[in-house]
Amino acid sequence: MRTLLILAALAVVAALSGAWFVYSGLYNLSATQQHTAPVYWLLNVAMRQAVKHHAQDIRVPPLLDPALIDSGRRLYRAHCAACHGAPGIAPDAFALGLMPVPANLALTAREWKNPAELFWVAKYGIKMSGMPAWEFRLAEVELWAVVAFVGTLPALSPLEYRVAIAGDDDVKTSIVPVTIDASAAGGDAVRGQVALQQYACVSCHVIPGVVGAASPVGPSLARIGSRKYLAGILPNTREAMVEWLRAPQRVAPGTAMPDLGVSVRDAQDIAAYLGTLR
Amino acid sequence: MTRAPAAWLQIALLGGLVLAGCGGPAAGPTDATARAARAEVQHGALALQRYGCGACHRIPGIAGADGVVGPPLVDMARRVYIRRGLANTPQNMVRWIRAPQAVAPLSAMPDMHVTPADAQAMAAYLHRSE
Repeated sequence: MRTLLILAALAVVAALSGAWFVYSGLYNLSATQQHTAPVYWLLNVAMRQAVKHHAQDIRVPPLLDPALIDSGRRLYRAHCAACHGAPGIAPDAFALGLMPVPANLALTAREWKNPAELFWVAKYGIKMSGMPAWEFRLAEVELWAVVAFVGTLPALSPLEYRVAIAGDDDVKTSIVPVTIDASAAGGDAVRGQVALQQYACVSCHVIPGVVGAASPVGPSLARIGSRKYLAGILPNTREAMVEWLRAPQRVAPGTAMPDLGVSVRDAQDIAAYLGTLR
Repeated sequence: MTRAPAAWLQIALLGGLVLAGCGGPAAGPTDATARAARAEVQHGALALQRYGCGACHRIPGIAGADGVVGPPLVDMARRVYIRRGLANTPQNMVRWIRAPQAVAPLSAMPDMHVTPADAQAMAAYLHRSE
């Protein structure tokens, strides 16, 4: 009984000191100061284990097709090289200030034995690391192409890379998805909730049911499913919502809501989720 | 070493004066301003009710204002935009309330012929700090 009381007291003291430390603001969150060694180690292990765990059931397609690697190189150059650099080519200025600094993928490709892990990270991203999710920007086959190309990085010399990209067209980066799987039918509310995050809707709207959607830049979407009008002008039907989500600047010129390149499927999924907020 | 106690004394004295100022009866003008601001907010609540804004909008603090025709007017003090990229300032709020079609032609929000004073009070209510 006495031991139990002492343990309980210790737990309370630990919780209180933890709370005090958090509220004191003493931990330095700046991007110029690396975590302390134990925290870094802990985060690194947690990240590695999470990636392994979540990627274990992904089936890896054949990745040695030269055409696949070729298209992967173009995609890598357009979307990845700015942060991760390429053989003999530095990352962009902004990427050098990131903490953690984006990994050199030649090493990652050599040390992570399972390509599904690269695929998982590319598709879903990693919270609070700067690594974005590409699920809503690239199709599965494109993600695998990038993985296929990254797999060649350890053996790719800077000269070979330079020669390879010499023939490529100028790359354009854009928020507009290149080719998202458009064949799938829209209207999946669960996927729509994820899409709300992936199109940054949460950075301007309060959205019930979505953690982190608490920013009143634009109107709250509470009970949007029962709303009679959208943007004050469109009768609130499913089709109108899809139209509004895809082209706000055309529907309401001058609106602060930007065109985000939302695909038809994604807009239908988002509309399905918003329809549940009644 | 000899200067330190004097400095402490000064701070203590200053602190005492500030405290006395807060608690004392000498704060006339700020009191009147606060009273006027409160009256304006109350006027705004009444105006929002009388013009029937609640038929289309949910407005926290206004009885019966739970409409879902237009967006809910929650947390308006923190909102960045009103409509069509119009920045959420008191002046713009008045402008929007008094002539919605001037900001967004075709808007479903009707021009309710709100008087300048009423619009100003409504804006004060919506922008009040809670």
